[in-house]
Order: sequence, then C-alpha cells, then structure tokens
Amino acid sequence: MHERTSSSGPAIAVRGLERAFKGGIKAVDGLDLAVDEGEIYGFLGPNGAGKTTTVRILVTLLRPTGGEARVAGHDVVAESDAVRRSIGVALQEAAIDPLMTGTELLRMQGALHGMRGAEARGRATELLERVGLTDAGGRRVGEYSGGMRRRLDLAMALVHRPRVLFLDEPTTGLDPTSRSALWREVRGLNGDGTTVFLTTQYLEEAEQLAGRVGIIAGGSLVAEGTPDELKARVGEPTLHVDLAEGADLPAARAALAAIGPLVACEEGSRVAIRAAQGKATVPAAVRALDEAGIAVESLEVESPTLDDVFAAVTGSTLEGAAQAAADADPAAQGAPA
Amino acid sequence: MIGGAARESRVVGALGRRGLSVQFRRAQLLMPTFVLPLLVLAVIASGTRAGRDLEAFPEVSSFLGFVVPGTLLQGALLAGLTSGIAIASDIESGFFDRLLAAPVRRSSLVLGRLAGTLGLAVLQAAWFLLIALVFGAHYDGGVLGALGAAGLASIAAIGIGGLACAIAIRTGSMSLMQSIFPFVFVFLFTAPAFFPRDLLTPTLHDVSAFNPLTYVVEGARGLLQGDTALGDPWLGLLAAVALAAGATLLAILALADRARRS
Repeated sequence: MHERTSSSGPAIAVRGLERAFKGGIKAVDGLDLAVDEGEIYGFLGPNGAGKTTTVRILVTLLRPTGGEARVAGHDVVAESDAVRRSIGVALQEAAIDPLMTGTELLRMQGALHGMRGAEARGRATELLERVGLTDAGGRRVGEYSGGMRRRLDLAMALVHRPRVLFLDEPTTGLDPTSRSALWREVRGLNGDGTTVFLTTQYLEEAEQLAGRVGIIAGGSLVAEGTPDELKARVGEPTLHVDLAEGADLPAARAALAAIGPLVACEEGSRVAIRAAQGKATVPAAVRALDEAGIAVESLEVESPTLDDVFAAVTGSTLEGAAQAAADADPAAQGAPA
Repeated sequence: MIGGAARESRVVGALGRRGLSVQFRRAQLLMPTFVLPLLVLAVIASGTRAGRDLEAFPEVSSFLGFVVPGTLLQGALLAGLTSGIAIASDIESGFFDRLLAAPVRRSSLVLGRLAGTLGLAVLQAAWFLLIALVFGAHYDGGVLGALGAAGLASIAAIGIGGLACAIAIRTGSMSLMQSIFPFVFVFLFTAPAFFPRDLLTPTLHDVSAFNPLTYVVEGARGLLQGDTALGDPWLGLLAAVALAAGATLLAILALADRARRS
C-alpha cells in the first residue's frame, strides 16, 4: 500500500527550482515541471545538464537555493521527513555495501522504514523473489554482477511500497539483457500504480519507458511532451527511395513529388520526400514509381528521433552535449552536498 | 508502523548490527582492532617489566594485570577510529545518501554507528582480558572488576567513535580518517596507559591531567586490581560518560550542519 499524500495534486510539482553551487555555478536554473500520479516521467539530458542535482533536491538530499518543489504533496524542505516516507530512491551507481548480503540489506532497509523484524524478513523474501534474486539473497553483494546490484537497488527502493519512485540512471553500464529486465520491472511497478521519475541519458530508455519526457539542458527544461509529440515538433518522417542503377531520376522525382514534398538529397540515385503519414506513405509511393516504370532498390522511412529533438532544442546532439558537459556539473563531480 | 521511540531504537539496532557484522568482514580492520593492541601489550609487558622494581611503582599482584587497562584503552581508541573510517567510507561510496534518504532521525544514524562501535569495543575488551588472563594476568577485582573495566573502555570507545564520526561527517574523506591513525598513540601515551601517572615525566604528567582517557584507564585499573588507590572508578566513569556524551553530540551536530550546508 502506498503512503498517502497530504493533498491531492501532481505526484511531483516543481516551480522555478534553482540550485547554485560555490562559485555561483547554477546546476539547476529555474526548472518547472509537473509529474502526474501513475506516470513514468523520463528526465532526459547529458551528464552535467542538472538531472542528478534535480533528483537530489527532490529526494531531500540537497536543498534548493531558489524556487520550490513538492513530492507526494509535501514540500521537500519544510516537510522533508514526509517526503522521505513517500518515496523510493535508487541513485546512480547503486551504492550498496558490498560486504552485506542482499537479504541483510533489504532487512536493514525495512528497519529504516520502521518495519519490525518479522515484517522486514517477509518483505525481504518477497522482494528478492520479485527481482529474481532469491538464490543470491544470502550472498554478499560484492559477488553480484552489475545487473544484480541494480535489481537489488531497485528492491531496496521498494521495501516500504513507495508512492513515488526515483530512478537515477538505473541502467547505466548494464548489458542489454539486464537493461531489458529492469525495464520490465519498472513497467510492472508503474502498472501497480507507482509514479516513476526516471533520469536517463539513453534515448531508447526514455522512448521505451516514459509516457512523457522532459529534456533538461543547462539546468532548465527545454522541451517536454510525449516522445511522439516531441518528435512531431522537429518534423515529419522522411521517405528515402534508392533507385536501381540506370533508373530515370527526374521521372522518379516527378512521380514522388505527387505523393509528398521533395526533400533535398545529396546522393544522386536517391529521392526523398516528406512522409506525413509515416510508413503508410510507402504503398502510394511504390504504386507511383511502378506506374512510372521506375525500378527501385530500396525504400526506407526515417522518423525523427529524440536525439533530433535534443539537437533541435539545444543545438547539439545528446552525445556531443554529454562530452562537452562531462566536467561541468558540480553535482556530478561530488561537489559539496 | 510503530511508535517514534521504538521505531528509532529499531533503526539504531539495525545500523549497529550492520556496523558490527561488517567490521568482522573487513579483514584489514580486524588486524588493528584485535591483534595490534595485543602485540603492543606483549612488547610492554615483556620489555618494561623492570619498571615494577621502581620505588614509585605501586604494589600489584601481576604486572600484566597492571598494564592490560592500557590495552583496553588502545582497543577503545581503535574501535572508535574504525567507526569514523566506516562512516567516511559510506559517504564516499554513496551508501550514506541511502541512509539520509530514509525517514529516520539524523541522530539515529549517528547512534546506530556508535552502537556498532560499542558492540565491537565490548568484544575487544573481553578478548584482551581473556588473552591476558591466559598469559598470567591477575585480576584481583574479580569478575565484577573485569566487567567494570570492560564497561569503562567500551563507553570510552563511544566517545572516541563520536569524535571520529564528527570528523568523518565534516570531511567525508576516508583517506583523512586513515591518516589520523597515529593520533591514537598520542592519546594513548599522553595518558598513564602502561605506567603509573607518578612515573611519567613532569611535562607528560601535566598533560595527562587534561586527557580524559587518563581517568578512564586509571579507573579501569582500579577496578581490575580491586584497589581504588590505583584509580577512582567513579571518576573514570564520569570521564568516559562525559567524553561519550560530548563526542556523540558533536557528531550529531556535524551531521545536522552537513544537512544544513547541503
């Protein structure tokens, strides 16, 4: 059962949030966002964008220097204890004592949330089963793989059945199989009604999990919406047609221009058009080319990606921004907390 | 959900159990906490036994029994120091953030760590007293005297642990905590750990009066030897409790300050 909030409203509400570090560096600068109950909200941005600082404020580990934030209806500064009772937290790097066993850690976490011995033991058993670590529960965490640690970290965040779950880059460094397993678990939790605030620098992760995505750059939210909404803002999909050798390029361009506006194309044997209907444009294009007697080698519909969105709103790709900002975020570098 | 005080006591208990169990899984900490003091005791007991022949040396039934309170004190210092190292390690690894994100009183986080220190100090004291007994120490104060001496050392360990935790919380640096290891010996040898206070040099004699561990070790000696002329147990208890209370308060304030600065 989830902790009740003190008032109805969004699970997370942030207004004008700011956090400046020594030297006046603003890791978070006037951030506004709202996350509804039961949502999975993807908080996307490169290292140094302010994601971790924001999460640390929302989970009460860091005080804001401006603005306000409420989680589960409670102010993160004035009602920090109530916030802590309502949230589960899995921070970056899965900081887990390697000398303790999975079972010991879960029982300790249960005690931290006020559970009695028997209740904590039962909950530990239940959670180990849920995350597929029953057999490993008695082993020291130092012997766990990265994926096992992440799953245990998630289980620890769930001990008290939190209403809002914060996952800070939960799959960084994981192999694809472990990543998929964690995604399944996050979807399952969300299906049970848990609100999930997920920070990530993986576009695929945001697309796979998040109902809505917020893109943060330079400490501010620069775009927000569902993945489809964000991509639609950047532009329509493009249909690329590679012509067979010797095909009549002007005729192909004329035939496809009737289907959609032509897009400039550098390759001599390729024609591209805007495809507002996405893949549904393909049959019409094939028919038009066939009727014009033009042989085709291949067709491909290319949709905008979240990286395109990121590039459009920030002026750089996510990967490039990550490299540029890697040394700039005081929070990511362990600045005074 | 359970009442506030009971809830916090469970938190303290859980963190104390963790602190103690993890201590025994860190092989690198077992050597200094359980073996090093015995090596020092062996050197002192064999190398300075002739000091017993000095005129100012009190009449005792065994020299080993006289110097073993110094070993208890050394154990308390090391148990306390490892407590600070452990908390700094938690801060550096990020595990401390997990604790801070839990709905518990900040003071419980400090008390939980010190509960582990207390458990370690009790085990150390029992171990040192047993080994010394095997090697011929006499405890004229009997079992009660031994229990009292162990108790004093354990309370002092909380004090040292509190100081170490305060430094660890302020700095968050494990390497700094490890670098203050030599200060253990400063505290140890500015107290009459292995010799009567009257046999210390005049300067050291004066300095020792300001070291609260002086009264702890003398009190433990008085209890172990069943002779309050060797040390006042009540004064020792007062010094140990004052040190423990003051240092614990310092550590709690350091944590509150860390939270305020965050």
